[in-house]
Amino acid sequence: MSSYSELIKNFEKIRAYMREFYIYGFKSREDYQTKSARSYDDERRRIESWLGNHMSFVRTAEGKNVFISIDSRTIRHNPFYHAWKAKSFTDRDITLHFILFDILHEPTIKRTVSGLLSEIDGKYLCGFENPMVFDESTVRKKLKEYCESGIIIAEKEGRKVYYHRTEDVDLSALSDILHYFSEAAPCGVIGSFLLDKSEAKTEVFTFKHHYITGAMDSGVLAALFTAMREKRTVTVTNCSQQKNLRIQIRLVPLRIFISAQSGRQHLISYVPSKNRFSSYRIDYLSDIKIEEPTPRFDELRAELDRMQNKIWGVSVKKNKWKIQNTEHVEFTVRIEEGEDYIVRRLEREKRIGKVERLDAYTYRFSADVYDTSELMPWIRTFICRIVQMNFSEKAHENRFKEDLKEMYRMYGIGEEEDE
Amino acid sequence: MIFSELYCAYYNTVAAIISRIIKGGCSEKDLQQIVRGRAFGESALTIIPSLKNEKWQLIHDDMTTPLTHQPTMPLTVMQKRWLKAISLDPRMKLFGVKFPDLDDIEPLFTPEDYCIYDQYSDGDPYEDEGYIRQFRVVLQAIREKSQIKFEMTNRRGNTMFVRCRPLRLEYSEKDDKFRVITVGNRFVSTVNLARMRSCVLDHGKQQLYGGESEIKYETVTVRILDERNALERFMLHFAHFEKQAEKLDEKHYLVKIRYDRRDESEMVIRILSFGPMAEVIDSDAFRNLIMEKLKKQKSCGLK
Repeated sequence: MSSYSELIKNFEKIRAYMREFYIYGFKSREDYQTKSARSYDDERRRIESWLGNHMSFVRTAEGKNVFISIDSRTIRHNPFYHAWKAKSFTDRDITLHFILFDILHEPTIKRTVSGLLSEIDGKYLCGFENPMVFDESTVRKKLKEYCESGIIIAEKEGRKVYYHRTEDVDLSALSDILHYFSEAAPCGVIGSFLLDKSEAKTEVFTFKHHYITGAMDSGVLAALFTAMREKRTVTVTNCSQQKNLRIQIRLVPLRIFISAQSGRQHLISYVPSKNRFSSYRIDYLSDIKIEEPTPRFDELRAELDRMQNKIWGVSVKKNKWKIQNTEHVEFTVRIEEGEDYIVRRLEREKRIGKVERLDAYTYRFSADVYDTSELMPWIRTFICRIVQMNFSEKAHENRFKEDLKEMYRMYGIGEEEDE
Repeated sequence: MIFSELYCAYYNTVAAIISRIIKGGCSEKDLQQIVRGRAFGESALTIIPSLKNEKWQLIHDDMTTPLTHQPTMPLTVMQKRWLKAISLDPRMKLFGVKFPDLDDIEPLFTPEDYCIYDQYSDGDPYEDEGYIRQFRVVLQAIREKSQIKFEMTNRRGNTMFVRCRPLRLEYSEKDDKFRVITVGNRFVSTVNLARMRSCVLDHGKQQLYGGESEIKYETVTVRILDERNALERFMLHFAHFEKQAEKLDEKHYLVKIRYDRRDESEMVIRILSFGPMAEVIDSDAFRNLIMEKLKKQKSCGLK
């Protein structure tokens, strides 16, 4: 039986646990039935070890609930990045790593594999009681890995292959930049890796409305960006939470849609087998396999550009290539004296919509979109001043009005008048 | 691939330990301190024994090392691709720093590859020369713990002359704005950077008035009806707050959220956006704010 370690080999499992602990946080140990109790205990202990005082516990009738509670406004660095810094390795991996870079400590120093081997044995390991033995294929394999990562370069001179380290990049002036973008740019965890290389403490920035959960999806995001840059098709596994199904889909990734207001990230893609544009939640995607380049990428991206003035959020609602159905949404608000901020709100939040002034106190918002339902939460934020609505999809308009009635009932509004 | 031992906290910690040993005079206490500062809660139980017991053959039992150079590692291609990607961001100009030469590197992403679709459209003017100048003054003042002075127009439309010490810059992705958190001025504690004018470093006498104003927190308790995927949407939407959730039955959940009292109006409309799937249970004052909105809506005559 293997013993517990803080480090992990596979990120997927911990990704699911951290999400559960952070987003929900009301499940007890018994609720994690799909996993073994030992697995639950180990993962909980690991997360506790990485996140320290961000972990909380509460006792309920069902048992002890573990959750992660973080006010992201009060932290300067995303604590979820710790999970990405917990990849396991072997004793031989770490030993070889430090020795190789000690030998190749300058880009000008070049060694063949046999040269490296003799130095490893003769200079570094001979002083230990039971020295490790590295054979040629192990060293060669590690060097190949490092060449792929871009930290070592292999150069052929005649019949011999020499290895040397790549040139360093000076990051000393970039501390503030790395701090800011490690929190504000996609795949910010990579910025955090760069910050780890520096001794300088950067504390200049804090972040409001800061969704830190996206950190857990950085691997998926990096793979999708790579595929987009290389204009390639990918095969992904989509795990729909509602249907609890895992489905493999082959698609052309076109653009990542990030929400600054809901913490969700989506991939908008084209699915060749269905001749359709589709959006997928990034946190439901895994096992991204990058495949062959597609000659249609530029054409599909251009079509998405055209479609974007009809997309309110992320829904492309069953739009087949060149066949698009749009829905009309319109509502009117009445403002009072001194409520110009409502007009400013409409203007800055209208996205693809249009705001018209009907008179000094009345303004109308309208938009033609693929999916009316995406606007409903936003329209509700104008509750207390909506005087008229006109949706082409009457079912949605009726739903909105029914919801209002339900809210009146919930809060006992109007009951005073009825009595 | 970004899940790699090359970025592992253990590798960084061991590099720091070796550096310290090469410099000389590394005690057991120093080792513990390095591990505590760079790795995780239980790392000391693995890292120190692994080095001392020669499992990782990098340090002898007399605390010497056969390594002769401070451990460093060049940047990986992935790190360079990310750096190249952020170098394309318009906000990079704010910092006024010469970026490393990455001409032969393909960016990990470009602004074409993603969009933040619900960001407010009146974000800060990152290309504006005056704004860039002020950003740099504020950044320098934060680093040097200096005072600044500037002009701004208050809510009543009057010009104010402000002298204060900036503590940090707070960025909101939703608003796409930087705010300057300050101390030393009784009237101004948070200022939108874009509203500041003629901002300069002020090397005059340090003002003594007050420290950072303490945030006053309130708690709102909301009952969620888990229909139309409301629970997941709600928990994600409010994920950036300190919160606690409890399951009441198969369809109902109770969520307590701790928020800054100054953001109450924003909280009200954010909770309203969930419609009948989110009912405020507590506090009464917060519930009343929702009820006021609903009463007013009822009188709007929406048919």
